[in-house]
Amino acid sequence: MTDLSTREAARPTERERTVLGSNVPRKEDDRLLRGAGQFTDDVDPAHAAEMAVGRCPYPHARIAGIDTSAALALDGVLEIYTGAQIAARSGPISILRPVPGAPPIPHFALAQDTATYEGQPVVSVAATSRRVAEDALELIDIDYEPLPHVSDVISAMAPGAPVIHPRTLDSNLLVSNPQGRGDVAARVKEADVVVEGRFRVNRVTGLPMEPRAVLAEWRAGAGALTVHTSTQSPHLIRTQLAESLRIDEADIRVVTLDVGGGFGLKLGIYPEDLLACLHAISLRRPVKFTEDRNEHFRSTTHGRESVHDYQIAARADGRILAMSDIYTNDLGGLNSPFGSSQLSTVVFNGPYKVDDGFVERRIVVTNKTPIGAYRGYGQPEVNFAYERMMDQLARRLGADPVELRALNMVPPDEFPYVNAVGAIYDSGDYERCLRMAAEAVGWAAHRGQGHQPRLPDGRYAGIGFSCYVERTGYASSKFLAARGSRFGAHESVTIRANRSGSLDVYTGVSSIGQGSETVFAQMCAEFFGCDYDRVRVHTGDTGASPINTGSFASRTVIAAAGALLDACVRLRGKTLRIAAYMLDVPDPESLSIVGQAVQHREDLTLMVPLPAVFERAILGQGLPEGELPGLDETAYFEPREAAYSFGTAAAVVSVDAESGEFDVERFLMVHDCGTPLNPKLIEGQVRGGLAQGLGQALGEELVYDPESGQLVNGTMMDYFAPTACDLPPVELLHTAVPSPVTPLGVRGAGEVGCIPVAAAIANAICDALAPFGVELDRLPITPERVWRALRDSQASA
Amino acid sequence: MTSIDSDMARLGLPEPNVVVSTEVNGSPVTEQVPARLSAADFVRHRLGLTGTHVGCEQGVCGMCTILVDGQAIKSCLMLAAQLEGRQVQTVESLAPEGPLSPLQERFRDEHALQCGFCTPAFLMTATALAADGRARTREQIREELAGVLCRCTGYEFIVNAVQAHLAAGRAADD
Repeated sequence: MTDLSTREAARPTERERTVLGSNVPRKEDDRLLRGAGQFTDDVDPAHAAEMAVGRCPYPHARIAGIDTSAALALDGVLEIYTGAQIAARSGPISILRPVPGAPPIPHFALAQDTATYEGQPVVSVAATSRRVAEDALELIDIDYEPLPHVSDVISAMAPGAPVIHPRTLDSNLLVSNPQGRGDVAARVKEADVVVEGRFRVNRVTGLPMEPRAVLAEWRAGAGALTVHTSTQSPHLIRTQLAESLRIDEADIRVVTLDVGGGFGLKLGIYPEDLLACLHAISLRRPVKFTEDRNEHFRSTTHGRESVHDYQIAARADGRILAMSDIYTNDLGGLNSPFGSSQLSTVVFNGPYKVDDGFVERRIVVTNKTPIGAYRGYGQPEVNFAYERMMDQLARRLGADPVELRALNMVPPDEFPYVNAVGAIYDSGDYERCLRMAAEAVGWAAHRGQGHQPRLPDGRYAGIGFSCYVERTGYASSKFLAARGSRFGAHESVTIRANRSGSLDVYTGVSSIGQGSETVFAQMCAEFFGCDYDRVRVHTGDTGASPINTGSFASRTVIAAAGALLDACVRLRGKTLRIAAYMLDVPDPESLSIVGQAVQHREDLTLMVPLPAVFERAILGQGLPEGELPGLDETAYFEPREAAYSFGTAAAVVSVDAESGEFDVERFLMVHDCGTPLNPKLIEGQVRGGLAQGLGQALGEELVYDPESGQLVNGTMMDYFAPTACDLPPVELLHTAVPSPVTPLGVRGAGEVGCIPVAAAIANAICDALAPFGVELDRLPITPERVWRALRDSQASA
Repeated sequence: MTSIDSDMARLGLPEPNVVVSTEVNGSPVTEQVPARLSAADFVRHRLGLTGTHVGCEQGVCGMCTILVDGQAIKSCLMLAAQLEGRQVQTVESLAPEGPLSPLQERFRDEHALQCGFCTPAFLMTATALAADGRARTREQIREELAGVLCRCTGYEFIVNAVQAHLAAGRAADD
């Protein structure tokens, strides 16, 4: 095993300008800019049929009968499946990351006798074109008997609420997971002050611009299924498909070329993936499905909806004694293929040091679209709760919210810090980020001014902070195994040398926009010693890559770095041994790889071109005694622990105290993701996450009508997704504390932007409106909600 | 779906077709197409110009933006038949061979793309803006770009790239 503890240990030291840490041009860009990327729907094989899916229009209904005869008679219709046929042909859909202790709610690709959410697939049609398939759906007569529904997580647990899965559950509570340390009740009793609040986090969608798409091709003679699909985890998809289709994994190849955004929504299989495969196998021709956007809003997993009951107990001097969070996650009508978000528990205390803590996660079934992973996976939700609480605690104590936070943060010399639920925070300087943010937004001057309407516009100015930690990557497969997760914590690569002097890197990671091809090539060039533009990274093909985990949980670079380093060190060792033999040099380590040559470190005239070395290895002609032909290496790496990114966001707002209308005038974030490998890509990731966080904070919400249980804004027209005009100016600062638990000291950066936004803006508005005693407790924050909060606070005063 | 289509479907009639003659990226094209085929699906699946993407099919997300007679339009809201006699320009026309165009280079240099799904639409919108040659403030550029959604970048770098491109174009004209 290669020593991964320091970068210097393995790095070729003679190269002055390193490619790692610099903003090289992205490998992905050229093809994407030419419109020559290859997204799943761009693949058009000959004779492909197209699939359309009929969906339950009710939140909860019994399916009394389905008549497909008229549709089957339509010219161009090839095949129609209903629930019974699917149950006969395939198994239930498995869950990749089940909530610990949750009983399975088995479900098939098509609803059986009952549908439990609007949008659940009920019938599928394969036809000669999508238009004909959709015509056929119109001709299918489905007899629905609507059943009583529940839309809200709290009322779903009320006595008398209809039980949605009576065969599996006695109530709509799927599972509850209490966890904690110490004695919260005792600390609450002895505390000088206790603040508590209920915080409602909105249901949103990640809304990748590329809809889900799948293309299944069956070669009947070979018994081989090739599935092109837009996913973040091709190898996991392959496993899930094999299980549900009851065919061997060896018979399935999943190919994912370009993915038009994932954000957690494209993890695990969806019903349509199975349906397309089943039609393709039966029809012996390719079958393609691309969801339309209205289907996307109803059938692709949603995110976030939860209710947090948070409590902080503290002494009069501001020292926190205990924190607790009892939260309820909305599951929707069924488990999503990835499962309900779990990290609100892991980081429930944020960056604060607290000995006594308690968290209880409750997962509740409702008649809405299933909730799955969405960038942040529980961390944005709980951040809104604990950071709103911190400001309320500061107000109760008359304390400066910055000083209160600083007082309670885990100090740099107390790492590793184990929180009350056992998460191990690896390292950091949390307070420095907070101080930098406070300084940058002029907190001291603002706080000195008091709360007067400002001149000349009469608006109230406010500044709010949100401090966060983000769990990035997984804390080893042991951690995952204890939770029943059906994947590992590792990544893997195969690196292969070509006679031309180039290197192929094969990874099961898919290219979802985060720049994996670029960063993998940077690392490979750095570790091996060759030129960046001589490395080609092949992503997302299970037929070419070693089995891996996938692109999620801000983990790709963390885990892949170790695998790349190990593979490169071995590849480099063999390259140098062969070169030493060719140059008649006794010690291979006296040589180094510099670009396209292997060169002696001192005698620069001793040199052999890299392609010549590669050719010898590949042909096996003229190798040193005992050296085997071939030059490729496969390596795996599993991180020991998760790394925690951290930072502070700050919002500067102005509020009209009459109307509730507000402006986010500045938004700033100080962010630490450890050693930066490509600063520009990190900035892109953080800005992108912030945009989604701002959308969630300021307008995005999937609204269900409580009476009908229908999604009322499920179209692109009705759902607010920020445009180029809708985002406030964003300023970024960063620190770089290397993580001691990851190769190169990196921490993940993919999800962090989503986490602190809502709390920072809510805190800023509440700071501005402190004279009115306004405390915001639900998202999104809209002028109407601020106006209502103003009105309510005046009524109670 | 219109009622006429439903009736046709009930009767089991084949889809009605029309012939469309148009010019795409400088080349004449004549194709027989289903009457209800959208312009977006026409360029994607008939002509193989898959750089034009489809994101919502209701004219909101802007993924399918192409130029028709020089104007940026959402091709999911147009039928292929409506391209009759018009000039169509897609992202594939920007750098048909050889190096990237200056606009594309700006996008690469500014890191104005991540997953790249929206990128062709922003490029075509910016192409139309550059062609009309009007001076625009950063805020006006933001407004012009608001017809195309991006979920990856937060827009800042896209605005940077377009602003730099427009400024360079105007400087060249002066």
